[in-house]
Amino acid sequence: MFRKFYLLYGFLVLGTSAFGQYRGWSLDTINQLKNVPKSVRDNPGSYRSVYSGYHHYTGGK
Amino acid sequence: MSAPPPPLSGPPKPQAKALNCPKCGAAIVLRSFGQAETVVCASCHCILDAKDPNLAILQQFEIKTSDIRPFIPLGTRGKLRGTDYEVIGFQRRSTQVDGITYYWHEYVLFNPYKGIRYLSEYNGHWNDISICKQLPTSEGTSANYLGEIYKHFQTAEANTDFVLGEFPWQVRVGEHAAVTDFVHPPRVLSSEKLDKEVTWSIGEYMYGREIWDTFKLPGAPPEAMGVYENQPSPVTINVAGIWATFAAFAVFLLVLIAAFDMRAKKEPVLQETYQYNRGDAKSEASFVTDVFELGGGISTVQVRTSSPVDNHWIYLNYALINQDTGQAWDFGREVSYYHGYDSDGSWTEGKRTDSVVIPSVPPGHYYLRIEPEVDPSLPAIPYSVSVIRDVPVFGIYGIAFAALLLPALAISWRAFTFERSRWSESDHPPMQLSNISTSSGDDE
Repeated sequence: MFRKFYLLYGFLVLGTSAFGQYRGWSLDTINQLKNVPKSVRDNPGSYRSVYSGYHHYTGGK
Repeated sequence: MSAPPPPLSGPPKPQAKALNCPKCGAAIVLRSFGQAETVVCASCHCILDAKDPNLAILQQFEIKTSDIRPFIPLGTRGKLRGTDYEVIGFQRRSTQVDGITYYWHEYVLFNPYKGIRYLSEYNGHWNDISICKQLPTSEGTSANYLGEIYKHFQTAEANTDFVLGEFPWQVRVGEHAAVTDFVHPPRVLSSEKLDKEVTWSIGEYMYGREIWDTFKLPGAPPEAMGVYENQPSPVTINVAGIWATFAAFAVFLLVLIAAFDMRAKKEPVLQETYQYNRGDAKSEASFVTDVFELGGGISTVQVRTSSPVDNHWIYLNYALINQDTGQAWDFGREVSYYHGYDSDGSWTEGKRTDSVVIPSVPPGHYYLRIEPEVDPSLPAIPYSVSVIRDVPVFGIYGIAFAALLLPALAISWRAFTFERSRWSESDHPPMQLSNISTSSGDDE
């Protein structure tokens, strides 16, 4: 019983990973935005990145 | 008053023979129709010669009867493996290992046509036992019975502490026998050597619930403690087979990796080097790249950043913007590299390159909006940005590999820990992994 389950499960895992590669899945988390105004191209400063103001690591050991 | 027990199956109607104990006068009931060698008086616990019409006393022993009570009272009947049996005898036995005394109980069952068989109980674990029909062969640490190989489990001296009812041999309290067990779960092959006589028996594991159902006993059976020598493993699958399946999946995964790697375009669509100059920065430091085209279908887009930072950092606010649809992917990436020396020696932290993969980007015309932020102590620094379309994401394969590995590991661990518990009670140390069967193979 478990072996049948494992066979199905394994093919599902392989199928999902193949589908993911085909569809261009990634492990990185990227914030998506819609309807960014075309004016950004002419005035890049008008766009406010959600990541600006990031607290930078300035350490080292 | 309870109803009298139903008659045992078979042609003649057996009649119990009523006699009296020659010591205390208590009634002695013989249920085994001449098959018993000895019978124990339930009142004074004299062991009597069942073959003697006058029930000669063979042995007397003193014990508080309230101390030991069989789970299955004598005279109880039940259908075991399709045959009616009556419990006619009970004994408690013990063995000493490393100064600890372990007790177990044995029940003598009788059917006038099938004869005698036994039940044993230890810490809630039960075995249905019968005398071997053929003589097993024993070689070193294994024994062969009816073509099945049994592994040596334990050799110990078994002492008879307490007896009650009828026995098909000359039972005595205080009797010592050398008992050797060989296991092939769910069966156990036992040899019992008493003086020069060796008796081989074969037992099959039973759960307490089955015993309770068989004899219609009230209440619940005692909970089984620990793992018994021939207890079937809860892992009923062929572990080696699962690993073989895993190996096949791993090969399949390698083929997938090779296929998708060959299929991936890995097409560079932008490659630029920029210079950050703090003096030039005015109110806004952001800018946009030239428009580039992402062809083909939906695919990944990799953005690589590199900068020769040295104990500094550079941070880039990125937005990959679809010029046609206004859809954007907003992300920030840091490139930082630190190194130095301390009491532990030299150390480094970070890298001078960074890479990020944007998922499922549709084809179209895109540009990058870049807004750099740089370590305040740096007046100027160059950095390179490259965009590559359709790159394989190996992390997905890593997750798939782990997902395939996990069930095989979990099953193996469960089987391993169960077998380790089993063999920890044996004469063979549990760390001798060769003892540990990786499979019970019932799932095939």
